[in-house]
Amino acid sequence: MTDASLPKPRSELGEILYHLVRDPLGLAGLIIVLAILASAVLAPWIAPYDPVALNVPDRLQGPSAAHLMGTDQLGRDTFSRVIWGGRVALQVALPTIGGAIFFGLLLGMIAGYGPRWLDNLIVLLFDTIRSFPTVMFALAVVALVGPSLNTVILVIMVTSIPTYGRVVRTLTQSLREAEFITAERALGASTARIMGVHLLPNVLGPLAVLAAMDIPTVVGLEAGLSFLGMGVKPPTPSWGSLLNDGYNLIRNTPWLIIAGGIPLILTTVGFTFLGEALRDVVDPKLRGKGGK
Amino acid sequence: MNGANISWTRVGLPRRSFLRGASALGGLAAAGLLPARWAQAAGGTLRTRTYADIRSMDPAFSQGVVDEEIHAAIYNKLIQYKPGREWGWQLDAAAMIEQADDTHINFALRDDIGFTNGFGAMTAEDVKFSFERIIDDALESTNKPDWGPLSHVEVTGERTGTIVLKNAFQPLWSITLPYIAGNIVSKAAFDSVGGKIDTQPVATSGPYLHAGWEPKQKTTLRRNPDWKGEAAAFDEIQIYHIDDEKAAEIAFEAGEIDFTRVSLDSVERLKSNPIAGATLEEFPSLYYVWVGMNLDNPKLGNLKLRQAIQHAIDVPTIMAAAYFGAAEPSTGIIAPGLAGHRDAPLTGVAADLDKAQALMAESGEAGVSLAIDVLNKSANVTAAQIIQANLAAIGITLEIRLHEGATFWELGSNEDLELVLNRYSMTPDPYYATSWFITEQAGVWNWERFRSEEFDKLHLAAQSEGDPAARAAMYARAQDLMEESGAYKFLTHEATPVIYRNSVTPALRPDGLPLYRYFGTA
Repeated sequence: MTDASLPKPRSELGEILYHLVRDPLGLAGLIIVLAILASAVLAPWIAPYDPVALNVPDRLQGPSAAHLMGTDQLGRDTFSRVIWGGRVALQVALPTIGGAIFFGLLLGMIAGYGPRWLDNLIVLLFDTIRSFPTVMFALAVVALVGPSLNTVILVIMVTSIPTYGRVVRTLTQSLREAEFITAERALGASTARIMGVHLLPNVLGPLAVLAAMDIPTVVGLEAGLSFLGMGVKPPTPSWGSLLNDGYNLIRNTPWLIIAGGIPLILTTVGFTFLGEALRDVVDPKLRGKGGK
Repeated sequence: MNGANISWTRVGLPRRSFLRGASALGGLAAAGLLPARWAQAAGGTLRTRTYADIRSMDPAFSQGVVDEEIHAAIYNKLIQYKPGREWGWQLDAAAMIEQADDTHINFALRDDIGFTNGFGAMTAEDVKFSFERIIDDALESTNKPDWGPLSHVEVTGERTGTIVLKNAFQPLWSITLPYIAGNIVSKAAFDSVGGKIDTQPVATSGPYLHAGWEPKQKTTLRRNPDWKGEAAAFDEIQIYHIDDEKAAEIAFEAGEIDFTRVSLDSVERLKSNPIAGATLEEFPSLYYVWVGMNLDNPKLGNLKLRQAIQHAIDVPTIMAAAYFGAAEPSTGIIAPGLAGHRDAPLTGVAADLDKAQALMAESGEAGVSLAIDVLNKSANVTAAQIIQANLAAIGITLEIRLHEGATFWELGSNEDLELVLNRYSMTPDPYYATSWFITEQAGVWNWERFRSEEFDKLHLAAQSEGDPAARAAMYARAQDLMEESGAYKFLTHEATPVIYRNSVTPALRPDGLPLYRYFGTA
């Protein structure tokens, strides 16, 4: 047997994808997530109507060929608002999770690798932030400074940092005395190099799983705040504001609340499936065993 | 006593006539010839709903309709609002009441009204105490303005007296006596607890007793066995605190409550799919909703800009989308049926885009960016989005800022306020509406900081004006001044649709608010 006859080794990403698509739940999650991402990115091209253009004479129409999900009380096309609402959801979720991962990584690695007093200080900070109920904290901040997309992103990001920071801290602490880190240290590697080159890649996998599982939570939180009128400002479409419109008209026009609820359900299902499958893939002990 | 478009009818009999007629009425009732309300009490429980929890059982600190719905059932007044479609009053604790001259009102109390918990019969001293304590600065009653120019109450006998005013005060008959400030409490009872009470009445006198209050849940009223007036129809009235109108509608449909206000967007559905055994009725409301502009804000200093905004807002679209066609556009702050109501606003009802654009051009303003503060309620948010679209058509970018109640009601003192979508409650006298827009109220309730000497003078003069036509003209002119300032675009008075079970005969004010003491069984 020659080298050419051996199967070409897959890259790490390829390996993950390979295992993901072989898992039915992972495949379903991936398809749903990709569909949500695609519809959000392509919203300007695939939404049939301007999501904020008023057309009051056509208000509260039922689903039809012209308006797949009917129209709201201002005659706006609900389907277009659902698609554009996905963009808002991801505009909140991605920077929020991204920011929380960045600061969580930074603080978690410093806490896990740094001196004891710094660890105590950072853990105290995490515990302080986590002691606030997220929704109540978000409502209080929004009530003080007024609702806006940026406020929502900032509030959810800050309250999410401890989740990532604690995971990173624990992983870092378990790795700092590992033989390969001790060896690096003995060879004179700087702290920055040890953290950036050796620790970071080892903690990213679990964080990716956590992030995938967290996205529905963040999307749900944004929708919740927008439902209460504390999220994005009108007339920006948001799944939460769609739910609010639908709730107010639930007895007259139930399709509005259904239209607002479906994408939230799909997002939760999609990212949860994907997160579960990712967890199985990145954890070698679970890989190929169908999870638990 | 009479406004131009409102007839204040007086229903009731002098005490002697009442007593003479009582036995006859009893006989008719026994023979089944009178409606149930006039017959003996039918018993049972009336379950109804209020949108907020009570704040105080002390009339001096009543916070408005929520408290008053209970006060009106457990206390007595000299006169009460008369249920029906036209504003009027009828005798209650007074066997006789008459306006002797502009500043003197003589009254005689019935002799069969007593306070509970052994506090004795109601006397003119109780009336004097009840009214004068409200104007006592030391008490700091929130309802002092309702008593206007009250000087004092002169007690002329055990059950007779004279209300003495410093000057003529027309709202006395429409706001003061039949509403919050007109409730009569027991002097002895209040003295026994230090002069004021909170949420627990110490002695009451009306057809119902205050039997219990479960905070944030319900208030229970029970038939007063010692009440000698027209019999209370129910053994018990349970008033549930259900904040959300939709939840109240569901509670009604589930048979949990017998009477509730319903939301405007439900009217069409309830008309096309009526609930079996229930009746839907629509009443005009006195509330007024408007878009205000802060005259002290330099961004709104240009009159032409403000006028452009006035002409750009399309009220019919707001009525259709935000109020589901169940409310009518308003012409000012004074609703139809009250003195001073105008037939049409100066700036029209429908948007006049050409005029708005012309005014924008005249203003010389370009790239205008403004913000509108809105209380976070469905109708407001919808209306704000229409206004946003309307103003975009004349080149104004409008940001919508939503607020919860606590932050919204603090905005009045905010000097940086720009536009605001506002809604005030109202009583059936124009005096109540104009009082919030006088110069003294700038930055308090006058959020637009509208200042007009002529308006202030009209407000003062109209409260004493005895000629209904002249009084109406004064209030109409006052609203013209508001509109001419460019600070106001009037939207609607809303509406009050209510639904009740057919087993109940509701007693409602012309604006649809309940008078539980007069509710009956069908």
